[in-house]
Amino acid sequence: MKNIVKKYEFYLFIIIVTLVIFFAVFSDNFLNLENFMDILISSSFIGIMAAGMLVVLISGGIDLSVTAIATVAQYIMAITIIDYNGNLFSAFMVAGIIGILLGTFNAFLIYYLRAPALIITIATLNLFYGATIFVTKGKWIYNFPDWFNQSHNLFSFTSADESHFYSGISLPVVILVLVFILTYIILKYTVLGRKIFAMGGNFEAARRAGFNMLGLTIFVYCYIGFLSGIGSVGQVLILHSVQPNAIVGRELEVIAATVLGGASLAGGAGSVFGTALGVALLAIVWNGLVIMGVSSYWHNVIIGLIIIFSVSINAYNRKKTLRGY
Amino acid sequence: MLNKKGIFILSIVLFVFSLTGIAIAQDYEIVHVYKIAGIPFGNVEESGVVQAGEELNVNAYQVAPTEADPAQQVRMIEDLIAKGVDAICVTPNDPSALEPVLKKAQSKGIVVVTNESVGQKGADWDIETVDPKLWGAHSFEKFAGFMDGEGEFALFVGGLGVQFHNDWADAALAVQKEKYPNMKLVTSRIPCGESIELAFTRTNELMKAYPNLKGITGIGSLGPIGAAEALKAKNMAGEIIVVGSVMPEQSAPYLKAGLIQAGSMSDPKKLGYSMVYVAKLLLDGEEIKDGMPVPGLGNAKVDFEEKTIRLHGVLDITAENAETLGF
Repeated sequence: MKNIVKKYEFYLFIIIVTLVIFFAVFSDNFLNLENFMDILISSSFIGIMAAGMLVVLISGGIDLSVTAIATVAQYIMAITIIDYNGNLFSAFMVAGIIGILLGTFNAFLIYYLRAPALIITIATLNLFYGATIFVTKGKWIYNFPDWFNQSHNLFSFTSADESHFYSGISLPVVILVLVFILTYIILKYTVLGRKIFAMGGNFEAARRAGFNMLGLTIFVYCYIGFLSGIGSVGQVLILHSVQPNAIVGRELEVIAATVLGGASLAGGAGSVFGTALGVALLAIVWNGLVIMGVSSYWHNVIIGLIIIFSVSINAYNRKKTLRGY
Repeated sequence: MLNKKGIFILSIVLFVFSLTGIAIAQDYEIVHVYKIAGIPFGNVEESGVVQAGEELNVNAYQVAPTEADPAQQVRMIEDLIAKGVDAICVTPNDPSALEPVLKKAQSKGIVVVTNESVGQKGADWDIETVDPKLWGAHSFEKFAGFMDGEGEFALFVGGLGVQFHNDWADAALAVQKEKYPNMKLVTSRIPCGESIELAFTRTNELMKAYPNLKGITGIGSLGPIGAAEALKAKNMAGEIIVVGSVMPEQSAPYLKAGLIQAGSMSDPKKLGYSMVYVAKLLLDGEEIKDGMPVPGLGNAKVDFEEKTIRLHGVLDITAENAETLGF
């Protein structure tokens, strides 16, 4: 089992390296630090949500409401910041707590109704998002205080002529990295992580082994809720606008990246490294296509083909491995 | 032969009839079905709908689905038909998906007026307060002015399948070909104009792919905002010209900071007003005539074959006026 997962990540990694070489050969502007940082910034939000989705998928669940939770958390955070000022820490706190609350709501429904997480979270996606649009009338928010609108870079790389802050390690990227490390530690080195794997591998067996299934369910959905809340603040820090209808709809992008990274929709399998590769693959292809000057009419077609290709290699490889046993 | 009493009774009867007449006029229920609830453009459009309702003495209001989903619009229109409203004004999410339900409304005697949907089947008339071709050409002239008529540029649209945006872009590029041979489009139109995040990402990529890029223009009110955020993050205000469709209030800080040079937008309030105005005309049984005046929107150009009423309502947005327009 472990070998297969390892192999899959390996092949995914090879595909990414091949693509990077390909783009670098055909465009002089692809392989440089600035572009690398731009890709990281652009994929930070999806990446943070994908880390949460990984944990949920491993536990045998799924959370389609992740984008709706992000929308609610982002909106309430924005209103709080504008009405009560505060600071960056309080912004993340508010969004994180909203995420945890909505995640708890999901967890209770999923646990006590014993219904598939898919349908419950489709329902809560509509509930959270619909209620937000209803209450707020979907108004965009862009009048943030100045301290919030400043760029939040740890340090900046300046161009040779020193006129531009070409790029920096911006806060959302730092959060992305921290979230991946945290998720890795939880899954790999804690009892909790092993229990989540066991829960996704065989729910009934885990229950009979005496695991607190309610507690695990709550943790898993709160974790993704928390991360989508945190991630949504990161997104506002980059874009300085809250556009409540812009996030919902991207949950499939999050799931695609996670599953592409080797997480199983059936539960019990997946890795942080794979998820990072899945997010990276999609981000790199989009970036590379634009930088190579490929006509936008082809972008979706090529993305679709590359996903099919990656998954086929995985399927072929798995067949071969299984035959080997 | 009428005596005094008879005249008195008759006048009372006439008076009561006239009251009912007024009552009927007031009871016209004119509903605007918008694309999606709560976006600012729709909200200001709603204020125009309500204003027309007050001024024209009709019950006019707006409804909209929570997502830009044609199926949800169909359901809303079904409900309005069941409710028995007098006129339905629609901004379709998908013209062909709405065709059957609009025809059903017409068969029940409901007046159907559409917007952003020229040649809509199932509509009595379509109203356009913005002509994508005129607007695209108008906007490109502004853009070319800031570009000094030369240099590389990129073009954003909201989506590659959006007819209005494609017509807008075609018209803009036609102006460029004809009048500005020294300007060069670097790549085909890019679909990112409705998302700040996508426009931000694409702008970063374009700046790398085309180091000589001098300007970005486009349709879709979030494209310029995303481009401006990308420039702001790199401390590059003014180094790339950004001109396109924007929402005034949202773009105000960017215009002031020189991150966006100029913008334009159709006037949503006038648009909302004009739909209710035309619906009321039709309910009153009046004829649509070429050149008829519509309050605040000039004289109509009427295309009887396509059943389209064209009015002019493009608003130029600058750093000076952006904060005063109310949306």
